[in-house]
Amino acid sequence: MDARAHERHGPRLHGLVTPRMVLGGALIACVAAALLTAIAGGLLRVGIAPVAADAPWLTRAALAHAALMMCGFLGTVISIERAVAFRHPAAWTTPFASGAAALALLAGAQGLAALLLVLASGAFVIVNALLLRRQPAAHTALLLASAVAWCTGCVLLAVGADSTAVLPWWFAFLVVTIAAERLEMTRLMRRRRGAQLALHLVLGALAWGAACSGFAPRLGGVVFGAALCALAAWLLAFDIARRTVRAEGLSRFMAVCLLGGYVWLAIAGVAWGATALGQPVRDIALHALGLGFIISMIMGHAPVILPAVTGVKLQFGNAFYLPLLALHLSLAVRLAGGAADLHLRAQGALFNALAIALFAATAGGAALVWRQRQRQRQRQRPRRISSEHP
Amino acid sequence: MSDETRFLYSGPQELLPTLVNALERVVDPEVALNIVDVGLVYGIVVKDNRIDVNVTMTSAACPVTDTIIEDIETQLDAALPPDMLIHVELVWEPPWTPERMSDTARGFMGW
Repeated sequence: MDARAHERHGPRLHGLVTPRMVLGGALIACVAAALLTAIAGGLLRVGIAPVAADAPWLTRAALAHAALMMCGFLGTVISIERAVAFRHPAAWTTPFASGAAALALLAGAQGLAALLLVLASGAFVIVNALLLRRQPAAHTALLLASAVAWCTGCVLLAVGADSTAVLPWWFAFLVVTIAAERLEMTRLMRRRRGAQLALHLVLGALAWGAACSGFAPRLGGVVFGAALCALAAWLLAFDIARRTVRAEGLSRFMAVCLLGGYVWLAIAGVAWGATALGQPVRDIALHALGLGFIISMIMGHAPVILPAVTGVKLQFGNAFYLPLLALHLSLAVRLAGGAADLHLRAQGALFNALAIALFAATAGGAALVWRQRQRQRQRQRPRRISSEHP
Repeated sequence: MSDETRFLYSGPQELLPTLVNALERVVDPEVALNIVDVGLVYGIVVKDNRIDVNVTMTSAACPVTDTIIEDIETQLDAALPPDMLIHVELVWEPPWTPERMSDTARGFMGW
C-alpha cells in the first residue's frame, strides 16, 4: 500500500510561505530560465538577436542551446514529473541539479555544469532503478534505459566529447522516455504478437546508433535515423492515440499532438540518416525531432502535467490547437525551405519561438479561465470542509 | 461484468449507484476513459459515516496520480453527505491488468 493516504482536506492556510514553496519557485525559475535562454540562444544561432547580441549570457546560451533545451529544460521537467510519481524527497536531486546546471551554463561555468548534469542524470538512474523495483514491467525498464542514455550523454559531455557523440544519447533519453510512456498506454489495447519485442529491437538499434555515433558517425547516424523511422512506424501502428483521437476535448487534442509528432519523428529519422551521409539537412534532423516530435508531446501533455506538478489547473479549450498549428506550420516553413534558404530558416525559427510563446500564453489564459469558473462553482455550491480528521 | 460488480463493495446497497456515478466522472484524459471503466477502482467500504476507497494506477511512474485522486475526492465530496469522511488510498497490489477493463473500455480500445 502507498504510504500516503488521501483524506478530505481541511481549510488551507493562506499567506504562509513554506520552504517547499520557495524551493518550488526556485525550480520553476530554473526551468523558465533554461527554456527562455535556450530559445534566445537558438534564435541567435540563425542570426536573430532577441536582445543585445553581445550579452555574454546570450552567446553562452547559443553555444549551449542543446544542453539548455534537452537537459536544463526537458531533463528538469521530466525529472520533476518522475519525482512527483516517485514520492520521495531524494528524487528531487535530479531536477535541482539539472536546473542548477542550466544556470551554471549561462554563467559560463561549463565544468561545473557538466558535473551537475552527471549528478542529475546519475541520480535519475537510481530513481528509475527503484521505480523498476517498485513496478517490474517493460515500460519501467525502458524508463531506466532512458535515464542511462541521459547519463551516458552527460558523462561524454563531462569528458569533452563533441556534439556528434553527445546529442544522440540526449535525444535517445527523450525518445525512449516517450516510447516507454506510450508502451505503457498500449496495455489498454489488445497487444499484437511481437509488438513489444519489435519496440525493444527498435530501441536497441537506437542505442546502438547512439553508441556508434562517437567513433563511426556515418554508420551510427544511419542506424540512429533508421531506428527513429522504425519507432515512428511502431507508434503510428500501435499507439492508443489512434483510438483516443476519436474522443473529444483534451483527449482528442493530446492524440492530435501525438499523431502529428509521430510524422515529424519519421521525417527526423530520414533527415538524421541523410545528415550522416553528408546531406546538408542537420537542422531538419535536429528540429523535426526536438520541436516536431518532442515539443508536440510537451504541448499535448502540458494541460495534464502542469496541474499535476504545479497545482495550477487549466481549463482546456480549442484555443490550444492554435499554438500547435503554429508550431507545425512554422516548422514546415523552416524545414521545407531552410535547407536552401537561410532567411526562410531564420523566419521559421522565429515563428517556432512565437508558437511556444503562444502556447505559454494559452496555458496562462486557461489557468485564469479555470480559476474564474471555479469561483462561479463555489458561489453556486457552498464549500464543504470535513470537520474532523481521524 | 456490470459496473456495480467491478470492484469489491461493502456498504449500503442504495449508495452504490451514487458512488459509481461519482467515480465515473473521474476521467483520465490520456486514455479518454473513466477510472471505473479502466478498472482502477479496487474496493469501497462504507462504514460508520466513513468511506474508504482503494484505487490503483496503471503505472508507478504516473505523474497524474495525485490529480486523479484529487478528482476522486472532489467527485465523492459532491455526491456524499457533507459530514461523511472520505479516505482514498493508493494501492499497488494486485497490479493492474487489462482484464480489469470494462466491456465499454475494451470496445473503445478495439479489443
